[in-house]
Amino acid sequence: MHGFSISLTPLNLLWGFIGTILGTFIGVLPGVGPALTVAMLLPLTVKLDPTGALIMFAGIYYGAMYGGSTTTILLNTPGESASIATALEGNMMAKNGRAGPALATCAIGSFVAGTIATILVTLLAPVVVEIALKFGPAEYFALMVFAFTTVAAVIGSSTVRGLTSLFLGLLLGIVGIDSQTAQSRFAFGVPELLDGIDVVVLAVGLFAVGEALYVGAYASRLEEKMEQIKGGLWMSKEDWKRSWPAWLRATAIGFPFGSIPAGGAEIPTFLSYAVEKRLTKHPEEFGHGAIEGVAGPEAANNASVTGALVPLLTLGIPTSATAAVLLSAFQNYGISPGPMLFQMQPDLVWGLLASLYIGNVLLLILNLPLVGMWVKVLTIPQPLLYAGILVFATLGAYSLHQSVVDLIMLYVFGLLGFAMRRWDIPVAPAIIGLILGPLAETQARRALAISQGDPSVFFTHPISASILALSFLLLILPAIVKMARLR
Amino acid sequence: MKAKPGELILSLAVLGLGISAAVGTSRLPSAGGYARIGPDLAPAVIAGGLILLGLWLLYETFSGGWRNAANDDATARGEHRFTPSAFIWVSAGLFAQVVLIHRAGFVLAQAALFACVARGFGSAKLARDFAIGLVLGLSVFFFFVKFLNVNLPAGWLKPILGGAGI
Repeated sequence: MHGFSISLTPLNLLWGFIGTILGTFIGVLPGVGPALTVAMLLPLTVKLDPTGALIMFAGIYYGAMYGGSTTTILLNTPGESASIATALEGNMMAKNGRAGPALATCAIGSFVAGTIATILVTLLAPVVVEIALKFGPAEYFALMVFAFTTVAAVIGSSTVRGLTSLFLGLLLGIVGIDSQTAQSRFAFGVPELLDGIDVVVLAVGLFAVGEALYVGAYASRLEEKMEQIKGGLWMSKEDWKRSWPAWLRATAIGFPFGSIPAGGAEIPTFLSYAVEKRLTKHPEEFGHGAIEGVAGPEAANNASVTGALVPLLTLGIPTSATAAVLLSAFQNYGISPGPMLFQMQPDLVWGLLASLYIGNVLLLILNLPLVGMWVKVLTIPQPLLYAGILVFATLGAYSLHQSVVDLIMLYVFGLLGFAMRRWDIPVAPAIIGLILGPLAETQARRALAISQGDPSVFFTHPISASILALSFLLLILPAIVKMARLR
Repeated sequence: MKAKPGELILSLAVLGLGISAAVGTSRLPSAGGYARIGPDLAPAVIAGGLILLGLWLLYETFSGGWRNAANDDATARGEHRFTPSAFIWVSAGLFAQVVLIHRAGFVLAQAALFACVARGFGSAKLARDFAIGLVLGLSVFFFFVKFLNVNLPAGWLKPILGGAGI
């Protein structure tokens, strides 16, 4: 309750309001996912106090996700893999002239799932903190290895390409001055590189520049067909009856996936889609615009993204590209998430959690009335749209340090992003590797320093050993299943 | 089956990156603290990982191509064939920005970027696009400098923009 008294000041509410609107505005733009939205809007918060900034972020975060689903439904261009399931039925509903109810079930479903998930985060976080306080460096290192394994190897179409992306990120994370020995590593005498590579630069390069190069080269001459919103936004009684069980089921599916460091909202959204398809009383509508098929995945997405705040806040471990960018935003404020944060800066934590509730409410009251405006954003011609995206994205990366080196890196990462998109190499592991790699290195070296250099420390501590064993199992499981099938 | 050139180049690039990282690692001091855990431990692990992954990718390249990869035929992906001009214009815009931002200033650099990218995406109205970019750059400039107190370079426009910016 104390948290609300912090975030409910008029000024902070205003920041939340601005964050929600901007987040939705940028999130609606095709090809701009939530991670890029947060990265692009990061410079806007540099002069705010941490509480105000975090509240604005909560708004941006939720706005970006909702904006993305609007685009997904009307244009059938999922901005991120977690929206693919929403696109399946959502775009069909729009084609059948039911875009209004589809958008409404998304908005209300996001609200319901987001609110329940935030309550669960509030209840769960202190419990996790209790456990996390008992963790030593070895346990932390093992947890981070687990997070690496799930984001790189388990999700995505290929283990080897996921791991390649992760190791690229880890390598980039090495660049700069080693925090423990002040040794400069892989900086090639470039002073700007000594501070390390900023996650925002990598995220903007891979997502915005890479995307612009890719879409320009392969999809700039395509006709895009946007569905119009015909009729009202309101859901009929039947729509409500079919939506709410889907929202609740999806929350139950999405939240656990987000809160264990299992990475990504992709699996729970497809799982929810499959569950709704199986349980529905109208199986004939699936594939032609069934409202459960929109309500479920969208709610699952929101629940899982909110659930991802548990590992992020209590352990300091991001499990998605968006969470990685959020973590770097925290670091810019000198805030290092982890169990100590709950003890040292309780005001900030509870203020943030309270602002998540507020962000959810703001989203609901803002977005349905403003949907007409978001649709107008989608009618911006593609050349101007991508030119604008690049102007704002490069601004976000440049204003961090006012450095031309950052702009050059942006282009290099853009070429990398183009290649990764073209040859189907996932991008998120690289971003998570960049920010989590140095943290994992620190924990590993601490653990080894305590054990006086004996590497068996990771395998003799029971918790650390079991987490590492689990990670290893996850890594080799697909190969074993495949071999078993071949026999 | 013949190896696809793109996959071959990328696999070799990953392998090469791993080898370069290994070479760079060998130049780092290893003795750090009493626990013998120096700043070269993590780079060594990462370099080793990249080399292994490069070899793994090479193996996939030569044994039927990368697994579950994107379709090489752009039309089968629902896209059109590679358009070099778009790629070049977007790149040119970003180069222009790098060159201009500390000379001509933020506003002109962003306007040039805007015009080039729009051109790359098929817009034929270069002058109109430059004008839109100029307006966009100016509004961002004033918003950042006056409202957020974040300085941006004014460059050649300094006489017009007055004391704003750096």
